[in-house]
Amino acid sequence: MERKSPLFAAFLYVSALLLAVVILAPILWLFVMSISPAADLAAKPLRWWPETPDFSRYATLLSTLENSAGAAFTASLRNSLEVAGMATLAAIALAIPAGWAVSRTPSIGWSLSLVIATYMLPPVALAVPLYMGLAHLGMLNNVFGLALVYLTILAPFTTWLMKSGFDSIPKEIEAAAMMDGAGLFQTLRIITLPLAMPVMATSALFAFLLAWDEFFYALLFTSDQRAKTLTVAIADLAGGRVSDYGLIATAGVLAALPPVLIGLVMQRALISGLTNGGVKG
Amino acid sequence: MSALEITNIRKSYGDVETLKGIDISLESGEFLVLLGSSGCGKSTLLNIIAGLAEATSGDIRIGDRSVLGVHPKDRDIAMVFQSYALYPNLTVHRNIGFGLEMRKVPAAERDKAVREAAKLLQIEPLLDRKPSQLSGGQRQRVAIGRALVRKPNVFLFDEPLSNLDAKLRMEMRTELKRLHQMLKTTVVYVTHDQIEAMTLATRIAVMRDGKIEQLGTPDEIYNRPQTLYVATFVGAPPMNLLDATVTGGALSIDGTPIVLPLPQTIKPLADSQKLVVGIRPEALHLDEQGALEVVCEVAELTGPELIVTGRSGAQQLMACLPPRSALAAGQSFRLGFAPEAMCLFDRATGMRCD
Repeated sequence: MERKSPLFAAFLYVSALLLAVVILAPILWLFVMSISPAADLAAKPLRWWPETPDFSRYATLLSTLENSAGAAFTASLRNSLEVAGMATLAAIALAIPAGWAVSRTPSIGWSLSLVIATYMLPPVALAVPLYMGLAHLGMLNNVFGLALVYLTILAPFTTWLMKSGFDSIPKEIEAAAMMDGAGLFQTLRIITLPLAMPVMATSALFAFLLAWDEFFYALLFTSDQRAKTLTVAIADLAGGRVSDYGLIATAGVLAALPPVLIGLVMQRALISGLTNGGVKG
Repeated sequence: MSALEITNIRKSYGDVETLKGIDISLESGEFLVLLGSSGCGKSTLLNIIAGLAEATSGDIRIGDRSVLGVHPKDRDIAMVFQSYALYPNLTVHRNIGFGLEMRKVPAAERDKAVREAAKLLQIEPLLDRKPSQLSGGQRQRVAIGRALVRKPNVFLFDEPLSNLDAKLRMEMRTELKRLHQMLKTTVVYVTHDQIEAMTLATRIAVMRDGKIEQLGTPDEIYNRPQTLYVATFVGAPPMNLLDATVTGGALSIDGTPIVLPLPQTIKPLADSQKLVVGIRPEALHLDEQGALEVVCEVAELTGPELIVTGRSGAQQLMACLPPRSALAAGQSFRLGFAPEAMCLFDRATGMRCD
């Protein structure tokens, strides 16, 4: 690959550019919609850039006036953060011991496969039992109840990811720590978890995104501002007789921000290669 | 007092028995090498001593205390792994001192012990680095340092040199020998490399199929192998094995007119008993009056010696001769050897018969 013809190099760049455009265009269009006046959005021919950018919708959605669209939106934003955050933390806390146990005891690997198998069931199949269960516990329309439901989705996924992460850490390192006199928890805390940091960050990020984007269960199990999440709130914006597409786009932009921020913060931890050098050479 | 006592250790994985009754007794300060090809059970035995695996039956005593069911950390052992198993996220200093840290040794005392070990192994300048910043040989030293610093009763080495290149391996071998001479610790060392075994060991246990084929000093293993397997496993090039039959109180080499006198020390053998005569290539020398007449097929000059592969009747033979011996393919010559260099094995059982 050292010697590339200029034509091939040009082809590479064009391909990369094309890929970037395909990925970024919808996001850009979302932003353009969010700052275009309503008339521009319905204009023919289409206006690609508004004459006067209009940021008023951001103010509307982020206002905290009682009973306003803003109040509903900020409440749902907070609910989403709470639900996704709690579910993610709990899923990681479960996945560390579970993933480690399965990784170090291959003979119980079947149990994880069984859990993953339940994961294959469509959400619809579980909706009614889950609803009855939550109702029985009095946890309908409750962030904790929703977080609990999300945990059932996230935990198998994070456990699976963490298991493969632990698999890549040589057993000898733990055996050496054991002989050096470290207890199980010391070994995990000082040796294994720091080495599993990249995969832990990855599974946390993906778990958070999964919970953040979930719509079906949130729609079924929440009914007002106390527990409604962003995805449901955005759907509500489109539900009335008059849909303000600009407002929906604005909500979309705002909803996309937290995961992006988390991704940026975790970027360093996501870069793996920490295990290099422990064994062999 | 024996430092390590292994009594009738057996290990089965399902129906497969990997260790079939191992007995070894080690005096304090001995360097025992478990030698064998892969799959002979030597690593399993080491793991059982370390406590990383449990024996199916049998007993292990370290320092006159049974360690069955005792956690590895309480066995007073330290192990150097084939992969080194350093902690990649900790500095060399903390890697070496980790065992002391876990045993709650005060920081000042710990630092002193770490620096002592580092000085011994000449890795003092590396103490602040991470394992990924070290070369293979340096990692090896850190792994040894980590074991050394705890001053355990028994050191366990699991093929520690097999990941190093040939030159470094020789250096580390000498280093290990020097360390052992200096510290006089008890060592159990697993390897498949017979040169490592010969040079390092005070005693070698040659293992095969979960059993000890022969346990003895390097000299005994090399000069008086008890079985055909040991005879061929130790030594490079391997020992020459010639099929022979006892005829009228002498040995006639099958497929040749050669007849060798039976050594006087040997116990009486029945006539027409089938034997194998073993002679090391190094024991053969050019001799006009020699008993073996050989036709040279290939002559390979390695530098210090000339390795000649030849044929005597139906039997193949190798000899290590001085490099200046003038021999070419197709040439016929005679080889002689000292009578005590000859080993006799029973062809049916593979056991030594003198």
